[in-house]
Amino acid sequence: MAELDDIIHQPLRLKIMAALNALPAEVGLEFVRLKKLTGATDGNLGAHIETLAKAGYVSVEKAFVGKKPQTTVTATAAGRGAFARHVATLQEIIAGRQA
Amino acid sequence: MIDSSEASAALTDIEDTVRRVRQSQIYEVSSLVLLMWGGLAFVGNIAGWFWPRYGLYIWFAVYGVSAVGLIIIGVYHRSKSRIRVFDGRYFLTFGLIAAFGIFVCYFGQFTPRQQTAFWPIYIMLFYMMAGVWFGYAFLVIGATIVALTLIGYFYIPGISLLLWMAVVNGGGLTLGGLWMRRS
Repeated sequence: MAELDDIIHQPLRLKIMAALNALPAEVGLEFVRLKKLTGATDGNLGAHIETLAKAGYVSVEKAFVGKKPQTTVTATAAGRGAFARHVATLQEIIAGRQA
Repeated sequence: MIDSSEASAALTDIEDTVRRVRQSQIYEVSSLVLLMWGGLAFVGNIAGWFWPRYGLYIWFAVYGVSAVGLIIIGVYHRSKSRIRVFDGRYFLTFGLIAAFGIFVCYFGQFTPRQQTAFWPIYIMLFYMMAGVWFGYAFLVIGATIVALTLIGYFYIPGISLLLWMAVVNGGGLTLGGLWMRRS
């Protein structure tokens, strides 16, 4: 029986993973864009990205564009797999196959 | 373990986030197109005001530059996001839209002044239809430009209408593009 992924299930982390999974593989989102899409604050978003990065679900790349620092977050293959399994589990729960 | 209503709420959150990502991608590429068309509409109207006899050739040139610009924007966006936004079907669609507009102008025997008002209103009709499906920003931009075009058509006399259209059409599209970039 499939289990819900506790790391992904937290509401903001679920939104982060959903946003990153909507993009083609290896394409990431800038921190500012991710903040706008999820409606999170800087600190909150940063903390949850760190949790996902520690689990190996996202990679974080920091670079300078001109003089401005830019952080790009990308879902890893492991993260995409975990997200797909999490969504499948949610669908199973709705279908009544799990209590 | 969670119950089915919580699972359903989580899936709704996912769908909503994915919809927002798609919308932001559409806005990102559309904003570039709007900025380009804003600049071209401004230049086309000002050039038409300076050289009214060459108006037809000026607009053919504007549409030619616009087609090349769309290809460049498509290539740029694809290299950045790896998502293909323009292909042959889009150009065929634009071609059909332009052909129908020419057909209407020819059979309606529109005067140059009527054509000056017709084309922006006609193009904005498609913007507004896109707005119904992809994001209300298009609807707002389209409706505003249509309203201002009609005001110009009824209240701005003579060739000065082209200056009005340079500001309304060029300026409106540019502002719309900038607004979309911030959305």
